[in-house]
Amino acid sequence: MHLKYESFVREPLINGNKTYAQVTEDICRPIEQKPTRLWYMGFIFSLLLLGFGAFSVTWEVYWGIGTWGINRTVGWGWDITNFVWWVGIGHAGTLISAILLLFRQGWRTGVNRAAEAMTIFAVMCAGQFPIFHMGRVWNAFYVLPLPNSRGALWPNFNSALLWDVFAISTYFTVSLLFWYSGLVPDFATIRDRAKTKLRKRLYGVASFGWTGTAKNWQRFEALSLVLAGLSTPLVLSVHTIVSFDFATSVIPGWHATIFPPYFVAGAVFSGFAMVNTLLVLVRKIFRLEDYITIGHIEAMNKVIVLTGSIVGVAYLTELFMAWYSQVVYEQQAFKWRVLGPYWWSYWAMMSCNVVSPQFFWFKKLRRNIVFTFILSIVVNIGMWFERFVIIVTSLYRDYLPSSWTYYSPTWTEMGFYIGTFGLFFTCFFLFAKYFPVVAIAEIKFTLKTSGDNYKREMQALDEKTVEEFIHVAEHAH
Amino acid sequence: MSQKQYWKGLEELEQTPEHQQIIENEFQNDLPVLGLSDKLLDATTPRRDFLKFLGFSTLAATVAASCEMPVRKAIPYAIRPDAELLTPSVPNYYASTFVDNGESVSVIVKTRDGRPIMIEPNTLSTVTKGGINARVIAATLSLYDKARLRQPYVSGKSVDTFEKVDTPIAQALSSGGAHYLVTGSIVSPTTKDVINRFLAKYPGAKHIQYDPVSYSGMLLANEMSYGKRALPGYHFDKVQTVFSIGADFLGSWLSAVEYSAAFTTTRKVLGKDAKNAVMSKHYQVEGMMSLTGANADERATCKPSEYGKVAAALYRAITGGAAVSTGSANVDKLVKAAAADLKKGNGLVVCGSNDVNVQVIVNAINSAIGANGTTIDWSATTNAKQGIDGDMVSFVNALDAGQVGTVLFHGVNPAYDYFDSEKFKKALPKAKASVSFNDRMDETTQLCTYAVPDHHWLESWGDAEPRVGYYSFIQPTIAPLFKTRAFQDSLLKWSGASEAYHDIYNQFWVSKLGGQANFDKALQDGVAEPATPAIGGASFSGNVEDAIAKASAKKGGKYEVIVYESLGLGYGGAWSNNPWLQEMPDPVTKATWDNFVCMSPKTAKEQFDAELTGINQVVREKRIVKVKVGNKEVALPIVVVPGMHNDVIAVAVGYGRDIKVGRASVNGKNTYPLVTFNGQTFDYANEAAIEKTSDLYPIAITQTHHSYEDRPILREYTLASFKENPRELIEERKKELEHYTHLHWEGHHPEDPNGDLDEKAFEKNGTMYPVHEKPGIKWGMSIDLNTCTGCAACVVACQAENNISVVGKHEVLKSQEMSWLRIDRYFSGNPADPDSIQAVFQPVMCQHCDNAPCENVCPVSATNHSSEGLNQMAYNRCIGTKYCANNCPYKVRRFNWFDFNGADSFADNLYEDGQRDDINDDLTRMVLNPDVTVRSRGVMEKCSFCVQRLQDAKLVAKKEGHPMKDGAAKTACQVACASNCITFGNVNDKESEIYKVRYEDNKERVFYMLEQLHVLPNVNYLSKIRNTNAIVAGGETDEMYKQHI
Repeated sequence: MHLKYESFVREPLINGNKTYAQVTEDICRPIEQKPTRLWYMGFIFSLLLLGFGAFSVTWEVYWGIGTWGINRTVGWGWDITNFVWWVGIGHAGTLISAILLLFRQGWRTGVNRAAEAMTIFAVMCAGQFPIFHMGRVWNAFYVLPLPNSRGALWPNFNSALLWDVFAISTYFTVSLLFWYSGLVPDFATIRDRAKTKLRKRLYGVASFGWTGTAKNWQRFEALSLVLAGLSTPLVLSVHTIVSFDFATSVIPGWHATIFPPYFVAGAVFSGFAMVNTLLVLVRKIFRLEDYITIGHIEAMNKVIVLTGSIVGVAYLTELFMAWYSQVVYEQQAFKWRVLGPYWWSYWAMMSCNVVSPQFFWFKKLRRNIVFTFILSIVVNIGMWFERFVIIVTSLYRDYLPSSWTYYSPTWTEMGFYIGTFGLFFTCFFLFAKYFPVVAIAEIKFTLKTSGDNYKREMQALDEKTVEEFIHVAEHAH
Repeated sequence: MSQKQYWKGLEELEQTPEHQQIIENEFQNDLPVLGLSDKLLDATTPRRDFLKFLGFSTLAATVAASCEMPVRKAIPYAIRPDAELLTPSVPNYYASTFVDNGESVSVIVKTRDGRPIMIEPNTLSTVTKGGINARVIAATLSLYDKARLRQPYVSGKSVDTFEKVDTPIAQALSSGGAHYLVTGSIVSPTTKDVINRFLAKYPGAKHIQYDPVSYSGMLLANEMSYGKRALPGYHFDKVQTVFSIGADFLGSWLSAVEYSAAFTTTRKVLGKDAKNAVMSKHYQVEGMMSLTGANADERATCKPSEYGKVAAALYRAITGGAAVSTGSANVDKLVKAAAADLKKGNGLVVCGSNDVNVQVIVNAINSAIGANGTTIDWSATTNAKQGIDGDMVSFVNALDAGQVGTVLFHGVNPAYDYFDSEKFKKALPKAKASVSFNDRMDETTQLCTYAVPDHHWLESWGDAEPRVGYYSFIQPTIAPLFKTRAFQDSLLKWSGASEAYHDIYNQFWVSKLGGQANFDKALQDGVAEPATPAIGGASFSGNVEDAIAKASAKKGGKYEVIVYESLGLGYGGAWSNNPWLQEMPDPVTKATWDNFVCMSPKTAKEQFDAELTGINQVVREKRIVKVKVGNKEVALPIVVVPGMHNDVIAVAVGYGRDIKVGRASVNGKNTYPLVTFNGQTFDYANEAAIEKTSDLYPIAITQTHHSYEDRPILREYTLASFKENPRELIEERKKELEHYTHLHWEGHHPEDPNGDLDEKAFEKNGTMYPVHEKPGIKWGMSIDLNTCTGCAACVVACQAENNISVVGKHEVLKSQEMSWLRIDRYFSGNPADPDSIQAVFQPVMCQHCDNAPCENVCPVSATNHSSEGLNQMAYNRCIGTKYCANNCPYKVRRFNWFDFNGADSFADNLYEDGQRDDINDDLTRMVLNPDVTVRSRGVMEKCSFCVQRLQDAKLVAKKEGHPMKDGAAKTACQVACASNCITFGNVNDKESEIYKVRYEDNKERVFYMLEQLHVLPNVNYLSKIRNTNAIVAGGETDEMYKQHI
């Protein structure tokens, strides 16, 4: 007998009496049924948001960046705030699928698929901002190191913005590959179950002719491991490089060596919050409570309280460093950040990001679905404010008081942001309808170890004496 | 011949069936795809077609993307024009004279391909001494103003020939009646001649000179005091002490261009000779915060009704009478100190009041301190203002009484700027006929029967005599753009003269200057001046006691309102429709596009619920108040200005124009109705009632924070402390950078004989990167904060030279303005105490850092460094990420938020707010400088150190075969600066002026803004030296800093 044993102290990762067949049935059900009315409503609403975003962006590209509220002093506003925010959200997916895979965290299987999808969609949303914040977006390809007829004209490899281009595109590519390679066996499952010709054909193409042979599985495992290895440094590098946009500058409030770890922690923080937001909804709508259990939610809430505390320490460190530096520009920048006209954004950030996650020290609250859902949204609001605080409240009052100014967004900027929600949810609704939102194959790996029914069986085994156990084990073949 | 058979192996020799099969098959090893190839090649889009499809779709996308661009036609010269007159793309320079309502400034006009594009001062003039102001520079834009009349009009309808106006006007004139010719002050001798011919032709006709902002109080006072109805020439360059009572002599008072150029020569301080530094002392007592007050060494405030008392107190203090109190301890203190200084000689007292009695007292003081003949010149008197208010009032009365035959208006607009314009407007139709020579359908022209537009001065022949005996000539720099006719020609025509004005003009000057050759030389120079100037005196014979009694009896009100001329728009006129001036931030308030009520912070806060920008306030909406003088009322928003007397408010004229004056001119309100007539002269300061309203109105202000927060971005010292320790600044800098200049860990203490800051060591040690040698040219600029008055002439010069877009009020409200050069104005002191306020002006443009933070962040290297130290922009490469602007510590980078001037890739998306400017009109476009790229939407831009001028200077030197000489390359701001506070040149040239300023003559005063960042700027500043007892900024009394306002 291939003995899989997991301590009873650990709660099961899959609830109910599940067999492999049942798992497949549960997860494929939403794909094979007609979408619900709720799905249609949500999908159409998302499309409307996307449409409004497209309109706002078209307006901005046609008339100019002047339709935004940014100005001579505050050159980046909602655009880059949203960019950093979306990129940050993307981090949870990669962290779950790559780092937790390497650490062999079984609980990741319930949530990794949705989290990875979220990563990809979030990075897609994030990418819109640096592209459309350009004054001449039609020349955006200048940032690519393409051979050209302009002589030895290359992009400026000193610019952190250029590093972003490479970091984000690499990240997106690797995440997409990772996500899709995981989907291949599941697509094959759907293909094999398909009752319509079209579905068979489409999933057949999508599954790249997966046959489920041992060689298939062996290569699949190898690829997963390689991609996990590739993604792991990316989790750290992407937001590190995003933070370089600020850290390599000369602006007080930006020019800080603490930024890379602080940004990565913040990214994981907001990413997990977003995963929670989505999964609380998904498990409810698609009745996947057995696969995405309270235990999963709690595990993520633990990450949230950890990373939330890390960013809290970072905020306090920034204040300490400003004081300790004895540099007047640095000190005043933080003073204006905390007490200036934008005081509300700083305190919104502080209360959402540092104070509110502390509630998760209480187990009761960690395992409370409604509370988790509310807090996950609060955290994401807080993280949005963090980016706003870093970007806008560093710029608006920097070195020369003559140039100090104020910034408020216009409808085009807000429309752009709303539009990316449209893009995100449009993608997510399509994903939830047509893709298995829980990794079927991967969850089956853990089923016999961590499934509720199997654990119960194991309990019976566990109660036997050693001799009896050996007897059972020997005759199990 | 036997054919030898060669075979490659036994298979071939034996020709086995297997071998046969193999050689039939071209590829002996199966291609890996061969297994699939049947299907692949039979597919509807096989692999080989892929490239076709790719090619097609790329081509299709290219065609689809190549949207049609608007075609702009340029017509080349088919026949080369006379090379002496015009070489395409090579500029010609003509000496000419700016004239506007009595104001005249000798200038050089730069023309390109036959169009004037830039106006620079004529340094040969000893009157203006290379001075110029913002309005003079902005005149090119007024030349190409779309609102100018393009032909004559009769009763509001255009006519195509001058006959159609000449005939009826000649008829009207000959039909009798008392004719009036109403003009501004005429400074042209030949025009006066023509006017006299006209008056001779129609006996009984009268010539009225009318100045909307008049100096008739001074003219009349001088008549009473010296028997001369004239304004003297003032020699501010000879002044040791100046005491100004409400006279804005650096901004708008009388001939301010002349005075600011002269006065700032007394403000130069050399660090090299600090121990013996001499600097004039400037006292200012005034009601409002004027530009001159902002530059004063000692300043105190009083109500304008108390100007007489102040003058009397000063008179008593000087003549040794019983001390008189003005009611303000600060003013008394100032008067006492000033009296002592003025008696030392070379003193001068000037006063902005239009009250005859006050001016008589001022004359008495000047006489008592011996100013006449030393700082006041009575031989070469000033012609700038000649209007007598009473004449104008009696003219309007005559008009109202129906006693006027034909009335002709030239350069005046009483329907807008007369104090009782309503009366004028009602009375004007009572004249039998009315003619306007004005250049646009302004408020008066609309009411006139005939409009016979005059040429713009850039299209005219003419002359000016700003000071008696000092002549300056006008020559046309472009053929008249429209069907206009010289005012003088019209008068001559109607006088029945057969000569044209140009003939008279030519004859006059040829005979006066003694020959055509002399006249040609004078035209070329632009000026003709007496060879041996002498300052003439005069003896005072007025009744000062009577004046003191009358002036002291003047009653004031709880609140008083001052009506003033703003630096941009002046008295109004055509300037109201000049977008460059509308968008030029007012030097003191930094407001654009509007007029408003200037009010002290204390009064605004306590009485009218309005605040200075405080710690948590960034409010653009300003509270509107109603200002009432007599039965006239004007409602305007409050702009809080530190330094205003707590009971005094001030409003600018020139705003709130009729839409026909031009679409840029309609903002704000007309404030001329707040002027009153006291029976003798116009009063520009009156008792006022102020009523709070609940309405708000947005004002576009470019600077909302007023304190420089005691940051070392500015350095101020008192003259005494500077003389005592001139090296204080060097020591401060050395201490700040010590870590990098003296590397303690290496035990490196370079021996420096002067003990100066080792800039090279800082450059090298402040970075971990290698330091490049900088051979050849290295451009550098030095700005003297001591002589900068903040007048903003450089701001407009920069705009004109570099085709900088006007963005409009709406965009300024969003802080999206685009000026490359701005003047930062900081206040220090207690906002509640106007007498404690000190102001400082700091022009800021791109600092051209050698280690520029903008350069390394640009992802596409669109901004980079030239080998000459310029931080340059490749507009075509810029994709507009704005990262550079964020990372600029000086915030000097400007982004093209919209398509302001039709240079964009998209058609039909021009930005228009309905009043911005007409730069997309073919006429207005003529003002663009062809040497400077017009930037498209979405790219970053900024000061280039006028790189087009630098290149030109280098090319000229190269063609002439010698190294470029110092001073050959001058930036537009440098040329425009009346006070010569900008020095520019090649720092590597040890003979250059910039080198001397920086490293020899004035090194004690040199500092770089944000030097500690190691961005290595190429612009340095010279510290501000105040001739006063204490620097307020950052001190105990600097409430502005403590409250972070």
